[in-house]
Amino acid sequence: MPITLRKFVSAAGKLGSSLETLLLVLILSSMILLACAQIVLRNVADIGLPWSDELLRMLVLWIALAGAVSASRADKHISIAVLDPFLPALLKKLVRLLIHIFTAVICAIVAWFSLQFVLTSKEYGDLLLGNVPAWCLQAALPLGFALIAWRYLIFFLTDLIALFAADSTAADSLGKEPEL
Amino acid sequence: MSLVLLVSGLLILLALLGAPLFTIIAASALWGFYQEGIDFQALAIEFYGIAEMPILLAIPLFTFAGYLLSESQAPQRLVRLSQALLGWMPAGLAVVSLAVCALFTAFTGASGVTIIALGALLLPALQQAGYPEKFSLGLVTSAGSLGLLFAPSLPLILYGVIAEISVDSLFRAGILPGILMLVALSGYSVWTNRAVRVPLGDFSWAEVRAAVRAAAWEIPLPLVVLGGIYSGYFAISEAAAVTAMYVLIVDMLVLREVKWRKLPDIMRESMMLVGGILIILGMSLASTNYMIDAGVPQKLLALVSQFVSSEFSFLVLLLLFLLVLGAILDIFSAIVLVVPLILPVAMQFGVDPIHLGIVFLATMQLGYLTPPVGLNLFISSYRFERGIVEVYLSTLPFFIILLLSVIIIAFWPWLSLVLL
Repeated sequence: MPITLRKFVSAAGKLGSSLETLLLVLILSSMILLACAQIVLRNVADIGLPWSDELLRMLVLWIALAGAVSASRADKHISIAVLDPFLPALLKKLVRLLIHIFTAVICAIVAWFSLQFVLTSKEYGDLLLGNVPAWCLQAALPLGFALIAWRYLIFFLTDLIALFAADSTAADSLGKEPEL
Repeated sequence: MSLVLLVSGLLILLALLGAPLFTIIAASALWGFYQEGIDFQALAIEFYGIAEMPILLAIPLFTFAGYLLSESQAPQRLVRLSQALLGWMPAGLAVVSLAVCALFTAFTGASGVTIIALGALLLPALQQAGYPEKFSLGLVTSAGSLGLLFAPSLPLILYGVIAEISVDSLFRAGILPGILMLVALSGYSVWTNRAVRVPLGDFSWAEVRAAVRAAAWEIPLPLVVLGGIYSGYFAISEAAAVTAMYVLIVDMLVLREVKWRKLPDIMRESMMLVGGILIILGMSLASTNYMIDAGVPQKLLALVSQFVSSEFSFLVLLLLFLLVLGAILDIFSAIVLVVPLILPVAMQFGVDPIHLGIVFLATMQLGYLTPPVGLNLFISSYRFERGIVEVYLSTLPFFIILLLSVIIIAFWPWLSLVLL
């Protein structure tokens, strides 16, 4: 890979990672603030915020997906991997390829059908939080799964290139953590 | 039929090879929907159920508060305070370690943070005090999951969500069984170290006062949270919100022990765990509903009825099953995947759902210490740079004590149910 392209890829990776962190910080902070505001208002001023419970539940869905996307970048999803330690090195690489493409395909399928679900919801004109179209809030589903699928596709392609790279220097430079 | 076997076999193989568990659950749900001719949109609709469970709010908030606490100096102050209060008794430091770890685990959600935050503090202290190397390592490793049955631990909340029973009553039910484990391990520590001449610490009011003053900001936290929850003043998610806000204010503004630029990383780290748990929960909502529609619990009941006929024999079978399960699956996945299937079966045999929850979690706690997956073994081996076999052997006596406690908890339902 030419130097400039590699720089671009690494810069894009840093940007993506920072955006994810920013999103997580924003969602989590609003959850803490909103949940506390709710308690204070109810106990001190006896005011209930009619939409706050619903919004908090939506934020849980969002943080679940945003957290799962972040976990994907670090390849830190909960897994069993009992057999992994017993595999010889080459087989281990092939197994990783298989698992990464499997994860990418499953998440792509889930993303596609989540999109259908969101489109159906848009068609029916469901509303949440009073007058916000439900599909805006539900869009986190297809988006989250598409990002996870994308991440594992990148893992797969990087592994593949590393596996087939003719000389070891190329494999070294590409075998590192992909950052996109 | 053979196709079904082939697909299940392939999925199990992929899982054992290390595919993310949520993809395996998603794939099996999709396969089920395909068999029944159900639109795949159903998966998204079921996953969306995450946004329809208000109690789930407690999970990210408690997890974040726990991660932030473990980054501050709170663990050190907690150890100092307990040492001042309990250090005078025989094997005092060992008992202190157990108590502190239990409290800390309850607050940090049993995710292995305890060993990282407290182990590095306690292991050298134990060795310095003259406890045998093997004992100290085993104690720190096994104590890392000890507070699992105390409020507000994540597995208890998750079990309540899945079994659709009140989390408050689970919090109450866990108290005595949790204390039993704590007392059993403390008793073992005192007995096994009776020949070791560990100098007894002095009890001094001055040190107690100083330790209390140092921990003045942390002491109200368990009182407010546990008091609020057990008295019914706070809902669980409200207690979680208060905890997160309180820890945030104390650590960032009052004591300023955590740097502001570290905060985003702490948030990110903690939410990666939350995302990892909730994505499995979301997928299993779909696969569970499919399995219940397909009558899997009934088939399971029919199968189990061939072998057992009483509550007693059912519990024996359950314990054996959970011991194996705990060695393969982590506690969170086990709850969302297995509880919906065994709960109806257990109720047929007269097991109370709350008692089942306590038995389930207590047995899965042993899973933290059993190879090949045992999370605590790996964290400990990594953190203290010891071989995994050495860590495993050192935890063995503690494992046996905990196993005996689990058997008592399982066959003495009174312990779980008396405080309801």
